[in-house]
Amino acid sequence: MISTGNDVVALSAINAARTNQHKFYSKVLTDSETPLYNEFSLAGIPFENFVWLLWSIKESAYKFLQRHNPGLVFTPVKFVVEELRLPSAYIIEKFDAITEEGIGFNGYPALTGIIASGEVKLHSCSLLYDKLISTVINDANDFENTCWGFKIISGTAHENQSKEVRHFLIERLNRLYGEFDFRVDKNENGCPVLFKENEEIGIPVSLSHHENIIGYSFMIDERGVF
Amino acid sequence: MTRTEILDELKKVIAPYTTNKEMLASINEQTDLIKDLKINSANLVDIIIDAEAKYDIEIDYDSADKMVNVGTCIDVISEKLNQKA
Repeated sequence: MISTGNDVVALSAINAARTNQHKFYSKVLTDSETPLYNEFSLAGIPFENFVWLLWSIKESAYKFLQRHNPGLVFTPVKFVVEELRLPSAYIIEKFDAITEEGIGFNGYPALTGIIASGEVKLHSCSLLYDKLISTVINDANDFENTCWGFKIISGTAHENQSKEVRHFLIERLNRLYGEFDFRVDKNENGCPVLFKENEEIGIPVSLSHHENIIGYSFMIDERGVF
Repeated sequence: MTRTEILDELKKVIAPYTTNKEMLASINEQTDLIKDLKINSANLVDIIIDAEAKYDIEIDYDSADKMVNVGTCIDVISEKLNQKA
């Protein structure tokens, strides 16, 4: 399935006290997911960050699948994280930069997982820093062709987030493919669609913003569209 | 409660989570929570929990799935209030 899905979470914007209440996290986590926290607890990861990590995996999976199933509804507990692995000797790193971009996750302290939506199983790669979470989804345990990026911005107004994330993605596309006139619009199902010189191209892209964090993912074109 | 009364209260529930105050002032039953009110999906759980507390109801997952615009929110709240009565 050719698609991509991403999500970012600004940890400064979450309500930790509310997240830790059963009435909140029980609407995000299933009973089978809560025990996954044991290993994260040992690594010093607060429960609220764990909940939002799973949220970001679920939302990314929803975006991945919704591209091909426009009627899909995002109900967090219907996306079930079955496995979630921490890198060995994992510690939460501070994120002191403004921007991070990559292709694949080699060299990054990525948390990897498997998530199920009905019969479909997807793979996740997440980066969890002190102030943010960034997740990307693929349908195979292979992110070598997945381009991703996230950035801290100053303005948190919705219009600004939306404009900035498109600009951020297009800058990356221009660096990779040249100074083409790229544009991202949403289709009638709310799915982002990439245009090059006013022609829609079949490169799946995903955009996300939360407070002062923006992020994108897209699949590298292997078919020579460019 | 009438649909108008639920709508008035629902505005107060939604208010903390939307930056589009102009749209909030003129919401109607067709107003979409995400597309029109620019509510981040991460806040939809907050809205459901706040609505549960405000109306002393419980909103199950299948009902929450339907709450995509103001009209369907009112439908769900109204249904749960009737079940409670």
